[in-house]
Amino acid sequence: MPKSTRMPTVRGVPVTISFEGTPVECCIGETVAVALLAAGHDEFGTTRDGDPRQLLCNMGTCFDCAVTVNGAPLVRACLMPVADGMDVQPTRGV
Amino acid sequence: MSERCDVIVVGGGLLGCVLAWMLAREGADVVLLERDQINQHASGQNAGSLHFQLEYRMVEAGLESARRAAEAMPLHLDSARLWAKLGDELGESLGVIQNGGLMLAENAEQAQLLEAKSEIERSWGLDVRMLGGNEVRAIAPYLSDTVVAAAYCPIEGKADTRTAAPALARGAMRLGAKVRTRTAVTGMSRKAGGWSVATESRAADGQNTTGKIQADSVVIAGGVWTSELGDMVGANLPTIAVALTMTVTAKVAKFIPHLVQHAGAKLSLKQSGDGNLLIGGGWPARLLKRPDGKPDLHSRPELLRQSVAGNARAASRVVPAVRTIPALRTWVGTTTLTPDQLPLVGPVPNAPGMFVATGGSAFTLGPSFARVLTELVLGRPASIDLTPYDPSRYRSQNA
Amino acid sequence: MYDLAIVGAGPAGMAAAVAAADLGLSVVVFDEQQRVGGQIFRQPPTAFTGATTVFGAGYGWGRELIDRSESNSQIEWEFGTTVFGLLRDRVDGAICTRVAVTGPLGSKAVAARRVIIATGAYDMPVAIPGWTLPGVIMAGAVQSLLKSQKLLSAPRLVLAGSHPLLIVVADQLRKAGADIAEVAFARGLPTMRESLGSLGAVPGHLGLFAETGVAIARLLAAGVKVSTKTIVTAAVGDREVEAVELAKVDSRWNKVGDTRRIQTSALVLGYGFQPSTELARQAGCEMVWDSPKGGWVVAHDALMRTSAPQVYVAGEPTGVAGAEQSRAEGKLASLAVAADLSADGAVGLSVSTDGALRGARGELRHAARFSTVVQRLFEPQREALTELATPETLVCRCELVTKGQICDTLEQNPEMSRASAVKLECRSGMGPCQGRYCESSVAALVAAKRMRSVADVGYFSAHLPIKPVPVDALTMLDED
Repeated sequence: MPKSTRMPTVRGVPVTISFEGTPVECCIGETVAVALLAAGHDEFGTTRDGDPRQLLCNMGTCFDCAVTVNGAPLVRACLMPVADGMDVQPTRGV
Repeated sequence: MSERCDVIVVGGGLLGCVLAWMLAREGADVVLLERDQINQHASGQNAGSLHFQLEYRMVEAGLESARRAAEAMPLHLDSARLWAKLGDELGESLGVIQNGGLMLAENAEQAQLLEAKSEIERSWGLDVRMLGGNEVRAIAPYLSDTVVAAAYCPIEGKADTRTAAPALARGAMRLGAKVRTRTAVTGMSRKAGGWSVATESRAADGQNTTGKIQADSVVIAGGVWTSELGDMVGANLPTIAVALTMTVTAKVAKFIPHLVQHAGAKLSLKQSGDGNLLIGGGWPARLLKRPDGKPDLHSRPELLRQSVAGNARAASRVVPAVRTIPALRTWVGTTTLTPDQLPLVGPVPNAPGMFVATGGSAFTLGPSFARVLTELVLGRPASIDLTPYDPSRYRSQNA
Repeated sequence: MYDLAIVGAGPAGMAAAVAAADLGLSVVVFDEQQRVGGQIFRQPPTAFTGATTVFGAGYGWGRELIDRSESNSQIEWEFGTTVFGLLRDRVDGAICTRVAVTGPLGSKAVAARRVIIATGAYDMPVAIPGWTLPGVIMAGAVQSLLKSQKLLSAPRLVLAGSHPLLIVVADQLRKAGADIAEVAFARGLPTMRESLGSLGAVPGHLGLFAETGVAIARLLAAGVKVSTKTIVTAAVGDREVEAVELAKVDSRWNKVGDTRRIQTSALVLGYGFQPSTELARQAGCEMVWDSPKGGWVVAHDALMRTSAPQVYVAGEPTGVAGAEQSRAEGKLASLAVAADLSADGAVGLSVSTDGALRGARGELRHAARFSTVVQRLFEPQREALTELATPETLVCRCELVTKGQICDTLEQNPEMSRASAVKLECRSGMGPCQGRYCESSVAALVAAKRMRSVADVGYFSAHLPIKPVPVDALTMLDED
């Protein structure tokens, strides 16, 4: 049961992105962070010690929400709007 | 406040710290004075390359200039041997990794240049050999197909710029040396057969305090401030401050074990022990000038966007994977060159008991400079022929 | 070449853009968000056709400013765009400033005659044990997720901090259906009531505080537990927050008595704000330490000019003072830019800016009169907050450097006495957040250990790129 819930409102058209290969249903206008949170993905990545990381500031300053989008590393999920077919991978620290 | 010691080392970069440690190891009573923080300037800002092949900037100007620059090879070879043992002797890792260095050629002209350069280097005893394109990619699969040849030197590599000088400072302190930061030298004069060095330091309460230290010997290890320090005793120690650009990336899984340089472009590329890529190679930045036309060593030099872009392009071209890696910082470090490209190492003219070392590549050559300076301070013969580096070669140019 | 480049589209950036465009200057504004508004007026995405931005009491002018900004076709807005540094070309003694940007239109170094840095502020980081666990979230974050993306972060939350925004957010979350387990406020309630009472009386000013008074009343009426003189001392859990520990504190926020634990899957932190000054530092602007204003702030003259050539500053980077002051500073900065360009002969203005400048300076004086009072009232107790981290607590979230490691570094290097030297030695501040979340902790530790002032210990220098960008973006900087 995802912790985060969508409040009722009119959102953009539904699209599908994937996170670690798993489909995630979301809407145009949402950020990747919101799509992941609403789908119950509580870990956006792990540090080199294997500890989980997730969104903290939601405004692009902390980089704890950073994921790899379509092969590009260190993309802030809280700033990136979703697009249909987007491939999102968690950040694995080294 | 007046105190006495055997040796004052002016400058807390890599050279000053390794020197203080070596002197303390010999039982000398050492005081190291650093105007800012240990490792704050060039020593902590360079790429940490342990390079022994002649750099691009030396061959860029032609083989004659390369031949002259090769006269520093004995110092390079000596440093290579010292760096390899330094961590063990100190008892702390300095992040020394010597996986070999590759100087790349992307066309026949550059390959020929590398052949000629390697010949000069081998005549001085450096182990360096040419590899063809396929051989290069066999040991370095991260390189692009545009690489046609490379000069390979097995002893090249890196040391950890970030932590080496502070580790050596700690080692020196363990052996009884005193290290003072936020302490600038304001004057040096002959006194009682030795040197009286005037200092100004900034204490915790914000007050400046002045002091004087009496020492038998003084070593100028002040990088870009070498000339200013020489002026204090009327010695002509000409140096040219050159601001250079460095870029570091985010950490990625290890994939570049070598030190990578280029025969036709300014480039040094390596992956640190922590996984960050360090991109440099001598791309200039803009030193601001004082009203009197001299370089302003107190302001931060400005980036030249041509350098930032050119450096990034040079790295990306030979290692395509670099393109998508996030860059985290591009900064400027100011190194000290001499007018004839050879280091300045030895006794300061007309200043008995005062010595100096500086001159490009002073991070790589630091241990070597320090060893020979230790010998000079202790009155022993220098174990390397210092004639080509003698500061008195500039004596007649005294204003 | 643009006459003016503005970094940030919050109240300061919008006010600056509108003022500049009205004077006929060519202006471009860069912002990482998708729309104007900044953080305080963060809007829902345009694709959310049913959603509207709600403006708190006293911020009705925000709607008007947004409308004016969005409808002004003279302003070029580049959204989803990161400004990662300022560069200078120098030709024959003349400077041409270039703004390094990367965004949907690619990466480039945009030439502008003048730049206004209006980069806002971010929630103040406070390192407590467990603060890196998923489920720990900033007050600004949980608010913008709710207001802008219409996402409720968790069904049950504990909020802890000392800034009035925390109270407002608690009430907004409660109205959205969340169970507010507890609001732990570091200050005492009588002090709060007094200050809010006096501020709420100021007409049309500091709407936030009027709103806060109402929010407290609603929370209490709804039976939410609001604890005063209480601080969160740890977030606990294996791979996410499962519980938090709270403790009573004295007036300096030092712990008195035992900790108690309550279960929750979300901890919201709201201790105030830290100015975003990385771009200003990278540009070489002189900085000033001012704790009530949020820490290191950008120095400027009466016309918002910084010490760096062609660079002006407006809004929170001059000191966290709220949206009204940001608006006033943005407008003033633009007028100053116009006057300076006109004096240089670079632009021809059809009207003199003298009267407008006088007016803008007056507006700023009016706005600033109360911001200093507010800043003092809500200044965080920094020493006490630094004490919350234990030796095992991560101070640098990116490079995984603990408080213990920093203390050991200081112990082993007695001659080390500046924050930047500690950063170099133990890597704190060298990760992707580039020190935004650890600098204040590191500096406080160095200052305490060396018995020097935080000002004396210094700040981390900021370098291009001030946000990480791919190496490829750097290769585009030399194009014209």
